[in-house]
Amino acid sequence: MWLVRQFLKFVLGLLGALILAAAVAAASAHGSHYPREVLVRLFDFAHLNFGTSSISGLPAAALVAHRLPATLELMAAGAIIAFLVGAPLGVLLGRGHALRAAAPLLQLVAAAPVFCAGLGLLWLAARVLHWTYTPQPLPWPALAEGGHNALLALNALSLPGLTVGAAGAAAVQLAVRRAESHAIEEPYRRGLKLMGLNSFEIDRLYLAPQVFAGMLAGFGEIVLALFSAAAVAEWLFGWPGAAVLFLKSVALHDWNVTALVLLAFASVSLLADFSGVVAARAMGGVDAS
Amino acid sequence: MTAFASFRGSAAPSLRTALRSIGFAGLGLIAVVVSLGDVIARLPPGSDHVGPPLSPPSVLFAFGTDLFGRDMVSETLHALAVSVDMAGMAMLVAIAAGGLAGFVAARLPWGFGLVMRWIVGVLTSLPALFLAILCIGLSARGYAPLYAGLAASPLAFVRAFDRAQELGSSPHAEFARATGVSAMSLLRRDLTYEFRAGFLAVAARALAAVTIILATVSFFGFGSAPPNRDLGLMIAASRETYVDAWWTATFPAIALALLILFARLAAGLEEGERP
Repeated sequence: MWLVRQFLKFVLGLLGALILAAAVAAASAHGSHYPREVLVRLFDFAHLNFGTSSISGLPAAALVAHRLPATLELMAAGAIIAFLVGAPLGVLLGRGHALRAAAPLLQLVAAAPVFCAGLGLLWLAARVLHWTYTPQPLPWPALAEGGHNALLALNALSLPGLTVGAAGAAAVQLAVRRAESHAIEEPYRRGLKLMGLNSFEIDRLYLAPQVFAGMLAGFGEIVLALFSAAAVAEWLFGWPGAAVLFLKSVALHDWNVTALVLLAFASVSLLADFSGVVAARAMGGVDAS
Repeated sequence: MTAFASFRGSAAPSLRTALRSIGFAGLGLIAVVVSLGDVIARLPPGSDHVGPPLSPPSVLFAFGTDLFGRDMVSETLHALAVSVDMAGMAMLVAIAAGGLAGFVAARLPWGFGLVMRWIVGVLTSLPALFLAILCIGLSARGYAPLYAGLAASPLAFVRAFDRAQELGSSPHAEFARATGVSAMSLLRRDLTYEFRAGFLAVAARALAAVTIILATVSFFGFGSAPPNRDLGLMIAASRETYVDAWWTATFPAIALALLILFARLAAGLEEGERP
């Protein structure tokens, strides 16, 4: 029953995103009856007709399908960094009064908007490391090839990936700390200690799965943070992704493309939220409802 | 605990109180600097060729000059004032459309509230930054503060809605209903208690959120326009020069980070938490 309710929530979310996208796409129809136009767009969307770009004349679906993988690749690179940095940081900061008291000092770092962090990285690369950054589309296949191409791909992914990863790491460590702070107060810990288990064993066998589940429950929020950061990174580093396509399409009033990018992003975000909550529940995690 | 309180396991209460005090003190200081901006700044906004282009910080120009020979101290102060003005307006919109509307929507009859909760819930599946940019693109950049406030509100709406529902089924609400207290009176009472307990934190949280959104929107070119440059636009304008002339981006970035930092501290936000 719980799963059905979550699935229903997910489907309703998708339906809402579809209506929102239709409402945005209908903005391109000048002079016609707006509510009727929204219904027409909804009907078109149901038949997988997403219209054409008013700028290039190309099908909006083809444009977005061409750009979306680059954004997802960037987000994947950022997510790897975010989990590698954010998860241990969250565990450390959730422990002990000294570390917990030090956590607010991280506010100093967190207060810098993502675009300032990206500009800082570019400055460091150029002035301190004397390193020229060259954006290169779709670097992951090149990574698998190895050799010189892999180095080029790593170069291309490094700065945007770090920017997205830094924003994601903040969200991940928060999710971990939130989960840990709930799990650490569970009464079973005291009982297990009385039974003779040491703290390390309790943490490894009982606490770690709960913390991991808690992090999964916040997966939707982490993906949202990655999306925002991806938009900034794509804009700053010339990354040819869908987020920068969104910015350009809004600036040029190319509403069919704007609508489809929004639909794609909302779908990914809703799917991440749904799968994260289900996975967390499957692991018996906290706050998965 | 208000609808906007954060999770357990954060910094110790005394430290948290101290940090919140620092946050409010910092915001107060920024308000004083902004209100005296025209006195402190030596030059009106956009005064170019007052010094050599891209002159580094010196006795004459404490923050240096930009590509057009503008005094960076004056420009940063004016941009901070624009940022604070816009963020202040957006904050009020965010509070009204977020926390307040969410609380009221939860008490609406005939399922209207649930429909609103669903609509707003859909909006939370998109980053607030994208929503703000979309709304500005659909209308005009002059409305950036309004749309930044609206874009920041869905999450606050959902939090307030859930909190209001929780309060609506609490023992005090059941008792009030049983004794004939009207739904409107109960709503007024709950709203008063909720906002009295956490209004400043709610306002600071909203301020942090809309400041980040407005600065990023301006950085992308969808927000403020010259001559009323805000900090985001000022940083965007320095992109071509800042690698060689670090001061053109650093001082506006520090001003922006301080504004966000103090708002976050005042709100008692954890790092990484969505304002």
